[in-house]
Amino acid sequence: MISREEVLNIANLSKLYLDESEIEDARKEMDGMINFAKKIDKIDVDFKDLPEFNSISNAFHEDEIKESYPQNKILESVDGGKDGYFYIKKFN
Amino acid sequence: MSDQKRGIIKHIHKLISKKEISCMELTKKYLDEIDKSLLNAYITVCEEDALEQAKKIDEKVGAGEEIDILAGVPMTLKDVISTAGIETTCASKMLMGYKPIYDATAWKTLKDKGAVLLGKTNMDEFAMGSSCENSCIGGSKNPHNTDYVTGGSSGGGAAAVAGNIAAYALGSDTGGSVRQPASFCGIVGLKPTYGSVSRYGLIAYGSGFDQIGVLAQTAEDASIIFDSIAGYDPMDSTSSPKYTPNSYESLSGDIKGLKMGIPKEYYDGVDEEVRKLIEEAMKVYESMGVKIEYFSLPEVKYTLPVYYILVCAEAASNLARFDGVRYGHRTEHYKDVNEMMCKTRSEGFGAEVKRRILLGNYVLSSGYYDAYYKKAQNIRKLITSAFYKAFREYDVLLTPTSPVTAFPMNKNYGSPQEVYLADICTVPVNTVGIPGISVPCGFDSKGLPVGMQILGDRFSESKILNVAHRYEIETQYENNKCVDMGVRL
Repeated sequence: MISREEVLNIANLSKLYLDESEIEDARKEMDGMINFAKKIDKIDVDFKDLPEFNSISNAFHEDEIKESYPQNKILESVDGGKDGYFYIKKFN
Repeated sequence: MSDQKRGIIKHIHKLISKKEISCMELTKKYLDEIDKSLLNAYITVCEEDALEQAKKIDEKVGAGEEIDILAGVPMTLKDVISTAGIETTCASKMLMGYKPIYDATAWKTLKDKGAVLLGKTNMDEFAMGSSCENSCIGGSKNPHNTDYVTGGSSGGGAAAVAGNIAAYALGSDTGGSVRQPASFCGIVGLKPTYGSVSRYGLIAYGSGFDQIGVLAQTAEDASIIFDSIAGYDPMDSTSSPKYTPNSYESLSGDIKGLKMGIPKEYYDGVDEEVRKLIEEAMKVYESMGVKIEYFSLPEVKYTLPVYYILVCAEAASNLARFDGVRYGHRTEHYKDVNEMMCKTRSEGFGAEVKRRILLGNYVLSSGYYDAYYKKAQNIRKLITSAFYKAFREYDVLLTPTSPVTAFPMNKNYGSPQEVYLADICTVPVNTVGIPGISVPCGFDSKGLPVGMQILGDRFSESKILNVAHRYEIETQYENNKCVDMGVRL
């Protein structure tokens, strides 16, 4: 069974705050999911020669310099930034 | 048979190019109907851009220029497909107000052909869900009965096409998000082979599963759209370099002698009415000379846990980018960087998204990675191998798209695992990377549409579209019945 501490640790790794009811819900849901996942626990075959779902590998391209998106345009996605950088309020 | 019955795209093309209607008039008709619609299908309506594009098409027609078959055809994009300068929200508070600076390749291709974008359609937040109700603007309504869900996650697009407030829609399909809403709304939904349509500009959920797909009235329409958007794109490193789509040319192909496999495991727990309608469809195929054979594909039963482990892991990694610095929402008050990120993400994401991020980070965390993630990757290979073997025996496979028809809105579905069970028929396609198409095959006793799913080997879109198209012709399009609402041409 997944403990409350484990849930809090995963929430911290996920950069999410959970309130008391969310912690308990998450614990139950993660437990349910792990039981669900156990269906595949016992399968024991040699996977070495099995095919990948996607045959494309190492899709390299020539390292050519291409035009980038202008900095100011990218910063428009937030609040325009400051001096060409992303800008957030000073921490107190 | 009239052009209209075979689909709407050729019909609109004829109307515009013969000047029976101007593109401007047509676009206004759609915009008016969107304005009146109660389906909650659109998140953003792009009136100005749509009318501007319509004007350009009319000028071309006026000048006697030949136009592309998709020019002037009013359509929509799921709100997970990036549109330069047009808000792209993923139906999440996290991305409210976010305007991408570039177009997704699939959209750019259509725009260059003269497509008229009516707006961005509703969806489950970040494409996570199968009812469209996990949207920050609320769920879309099923045009066949507005008390019922559209399915999801591309629910808004399916509602728009079925409710005649868009001629066609692009959606995205990570575990059935194009096919299942198509089935619930009585239209055609095509999920192409992984790597056939560029994912550049499709906001990532599960990058190894995501694929842009098509929602259309008929297989013929889907084929025209697919041929336009498929092909190699250097901006997507998983785009296949060897593929030239020509599915439309294959539509007249004879299917006599074709071998259709029926994987028994797909039919376990399927609603009786759904099963009967698919068996009827098998009889239609048999009458056309198709050889039907039941067989066992036991690996299918591993797909759901494998899919949810892998897709949650990919989602947790992909959604880490929403940190409050570079995109969309940022919390108001914070005292350090950790608090800023945590508060931003906790406020911006909905319950299902948080759930999948937590599960994803759990299966990726130290001590569990081998037990869950790596194991699931290996079993993915096992499932892939089983499907490849099936396609050495059979040309196509026939399954239900969903074990049930649309369910009522605001229903309590039980635990997340119980909800995920309903995805059993659609997730194998994404796990294996093959194409699948949902085709309407009748209505249940409540009058709700039922869809059947035709699966093919990788890059066999031409084949599955033709198999779907032949069925529609044989049944005289009686299951592609339009709902009496929206724009009727």
